[in-house]
Amino acid sequence: MKETLSRMEEEIQEIIPRWKWVNWILIITGLVLGSRLWYLQIVHGKELRKYSEINRLKETKIQAPRGLIFDRHNNILVDNYLDLILTITPQYVNNLEQAAKDISSILQIDHQDIIKKVNLEEKKQGPFRPVIIKKHLTLNQAVQLKLLQWNYTGVDIQETIIRHYPLKENGAHIFGYLGEIAKNQISEFNRKYGKSFHFQSGDIVGKSGLEYIWEYELRGKDGFSFVEVDVHNRKSISNIAGLWSFKPKHPISGKNITLTIDRDLQKVAFQSFLRDDKIGKRNGAAVVMKSNGEILAWVSHPSYDPNIFSKKLSPVSWMKLADAPSQLLRNKPIQNHYAPGSIFKPIIALAALEEGIITKNTLIDSPKELLFGGRFYHDYRKVGHGPINVTSAIERSANVFFYKLGIKLGIDTIAKYAKLFQLGQKTKIKMENEITGLIPDSDWKIKSLKEPWQPGENLVHAIGQGFTLVTPLQMAIVYNTIATNGKIVQPFIVKKITNTENKEIKTFEPKIINSLHEKIKKKYFHIIQKALKQVVHGEQGTAKWWKLKGVEIAGKTGTSQVMSFSKENIHKKCRKRPLEQRHHGWFVAIAPADNPEITVSVLTEHSCSGSSGSAPIARDIIRSYFKNKKLKNKNLKQENQI
Amino acid sequence: MSTQNPKGLSTVKKLNWRLIVTITTLLIIGLINLYSISHRPHSTTTHLFYLQLIWISLGAFVFMCVTFINYHFFTRMAYILYFINLFFLLLVYFFGSVFGGSKRWLDLGLFHYQPSETLKIILIFVLARILSSKRSWRAMTLGELTKPLILIFIPVLFIILQPDLGTGLIICIITGSIIIFAKVHRSILFSSILFTLLISPLIWNFFLKEYQKERIFTFISPGRDPRGTGYNTIQSKIAIGSGQFLGKGFQKGTQSQLEFLPERHTDFIFSVLSEEHGFMGSIVTILVFLFLIILGVHTAFQSKDKVGIFLCIGMCFYIFWHMFINIGMTMGLLPIVGIPLPLLSYGGSSLLTTMIALGVISSVSYRRYLF
Repeated sequence: MKETLSRMEEEIQEIIPRWKWVNWILIITGLVLGSRLWYLQIVHGKELRKYSEINRLKETKIQAPRGLIFDRHNNILVDNYLDLILTITPQYVNNLEQAAKDISSILQIDHQDIIKKVNLEEKKQGPFRPVIIKKHLTLNQAVQLKLLQWNYTGVDIQETIIRHYPLKENGAHIFGYLGEIAKNQISEFNRKYGKSFHFQSGDIVGKSGLEYIWEYELRGKDGFSFVEVDVHNRKSISNIAGLWSFKPKHPISGKNITLTIDRDLQKVAFQSFLRDDKIGKRNGAAVVMKSNGEILAWVSHPSYDPNIFSKKLSPVSWMKLADAPSQLLRNKPIQNHYAPGSIFKPIIALAALEEGIITKNTLIDSPKELLFGGRFYHDYRKVGHGPINVTSAIERSANVFFYKLGIKLGIDTIAKYAKLFQLGQKTKIKMENEITGLIPDSDWKIKSLKEPWQPGENLVHAIGQGFTLVTPLQMAIVYNTIATNGKIVQPFIVKKITNTENKEIKTFEPKIINSLHEKIKKKYFHIIQKALKQVVHGEQGTAKWWKLKGVEIAGKTGTSQVMSFSKENIHKKCRKRPLEQRHHGWFVAIAPADNPEITVSVLTEHSCSGSSGSAPIARDIIRSYFKNKKLKNKNLKQENQI
Repeated sequence: MSTQNPKGLSTVKKLNWRLIVTITTLLIIGLINLYSISHRPHSTTTHLFYLQLIWISLGAFVFMCVTFINYHFFTRMAYILYFINLFFLLLVYFFGSVFGGSKRWLDLGLFHYQPSETLKIILIFVLARILSSKRSWRAMTLGELTKPLILIFIPVLFIILQPDLGTGLIICIITGSIIIFAKVHRSILFSSILFTLLISPLIWNFFLKEYQKERIFTFISPGRDPRGTGYNTIQSKIAIGSGQFLGKGFQKGTQSQLEFLPERHTDFIFSVLSEEHGFMGSIVTILVFLFLIILGVHTAFQSKDKVGIFLCIGMCFYIFWHMFINIGMTMGLLPIVGIPLPLLSYGGSSLLTTMIALGVISSVSYRRYLF
């Protein structure tokens, strides 16, 4: 025991020299900290004291503007403007009573209100936070208030950048809106974009639409500058700050996005939902797509004005927006699905042709109703159509013709062909919350409803009713595929991204994602194309009232049943029913019919018929498209002549 | 207890009263300071002063408890504590509440527990255990260093990944100091310095986040990029400098009272002190800190065994580096890292761990007469 103890003591003796080192470290530390204190407090103390008393350095954030959004012809769609805000800082205001009176004479607001607001905010946030008195000052008001600033300390005009959507309700579902970042989004955004941005609560970010999806590109980097303010919060003239050589960090604005959208066409498309015919203002969706997949116009009606989000939205108006029965916030071309109705028939016809069930000339009797499995399946026309071929069947939209094809094809073959046209899956257009729609088959029914497929259901599904659900964008792609003999394109809405120097950073090219030429023969596509042209131009066409001078349109009307009706009710005038029971109307058009350039897919909710509800909208859009095109060609020719 | 004691000293006499008085002095300085900034008209932070009083009473209790525990208990428990702490660290890494962009906290309902804080203390226990088991005082070889280095490296990696670079670095500095104190071969020392120099550009390019780089840039030149951190440094320097020789007086510091100074209650508490009490107040505070550390070092060399030496030296380094980095940061000598000033900054986590550290020193001191 004694031995180990002494050995221990020996070891401890050995460590004694290290004492010295530890002491030296402490002495040096004391000297370093002490001399730095001396340097700051004694050598520079006087200047810094003066500096802290007379001048105050304030860090001010310079807001970076978000990137702009342009249409395909470089017309502005979303921009920013400078907003002027009047603030009062309670600590610095020397005569609140008088200042409030003078302000009230310029702004026409009660001066008691101003005083109350300042006092209330002072109690809540302390005397050094500027209190916002009024936003959105006019230039005239700002100038008058600027003069006041020299009489009253603590009265300030501050600038902020406000997002502006000049088209207002039009295009709201494309662009989306901005808002304060949600608490649970902060970490998500920092994970996603942390390399370039650091998000904090209170930051304004894109909440939906392009603003949300392209946040990384559109977002600017805020700058910082130092403003020296004196005790009265006025900008100081002295420059003691030279001591620290401040350099401001300039804000970097976000990148600009150019869309495939055509602003003029977008305006026409939106306006055409506000008709004053028999049906009146329509609700619904419209998609205008070029044959290479570029989206030219995109309407979801009714809409909301995204500008109200740029100004702060009160909880009440938010509730109004979110809960409205007309689903204002819903982006209907991809977020709503409907039964396709008769616009589904061309797919059935193509399937029957390709499967060899019919030929171009096969005549099938198409009476007013068909008895199948002890049940009557009706046609909309009380006298029926007689024996007709496939072209006539599409032209007239004869139901019994397609009932008979449905019986022969069966649901699984129908589903197979529908899926060839990308139905039942997302189009992968870069927009949020796209839904898939539904293409049912026998497996699906067993799995989800635990019931076997009934033969009678084949009939219903052959005319696009039943479980089948599609989105307006999906139908635009189907008809574009028919028009281009089977080329399936990727729909897209962003053409390019450019930086502020207008240099292209990213360009998006049209893409053909699939071709059906091996699955469906070209001649069958030609048959359907001709039939679709007959729908508008034939004598029995269901949309024969909507011919256009100069341009031949091909298209198809459709009616999407909201609910099924009993035998007595089926022929009851749709418009006599309550609104929520009325059918939706479809019209999908291709123009020009022989050399397709654009596809227009229109759905109007509860408009009873595609022919009178949706076709006029599609016609207006097509007319405008070709009128503008003609104008542009004319201008081009004139320029060339000069 | 006095009867078992060969020298017949009573419990009261065995306590290191100089240590206790020094700690109390610093706590009082801290309270005066905190009162000054939290008790002013329109203040929304009055409650902080009273909360700190509660933390201090809790801290005092913890200090006394640790004092009366034989310090060998801590080294004996070192590995168990280490793995429990590591577990919590992983828990934070995967489930911790996100705070200011990094996951550092574990929400325990009553307060937020930050495992990286206790890890500092527990790593000192671990090192004291490993280093004291060495047979002699000769310089350590690379083989002997492997075990402690791995034990340090694993938690530090997770802390840096949280990401909390500041705490990760300070743990490296504290543990590194202890290892160097225990003596390593000169070749190892120089090659590790060389290694650090070589690896830092890699860390800079692949490891550091934008804001961390900005902080370092800011430190080198505060005027260059005045974003946030540069602002802090400048305002802190103005606050300290404007205190001059005698200070502006209690509750008269314009920088701190007018909220120009950020994080006044926690990381920049020293600037408040400097502004209001000037060069005299600051130098006295620094001297009291140095005296506290000297008392700790003194206790180390009075200790009758190596465990006591390493525990005391470790805790001294712990207090010393926190103080030096925090004060150096407020004066613009070091980059801004979120490190509180022991005993003076507001905050329960920091106060409790500091009191444990001081309690260990006190415990070693209490048993210096044994054997």
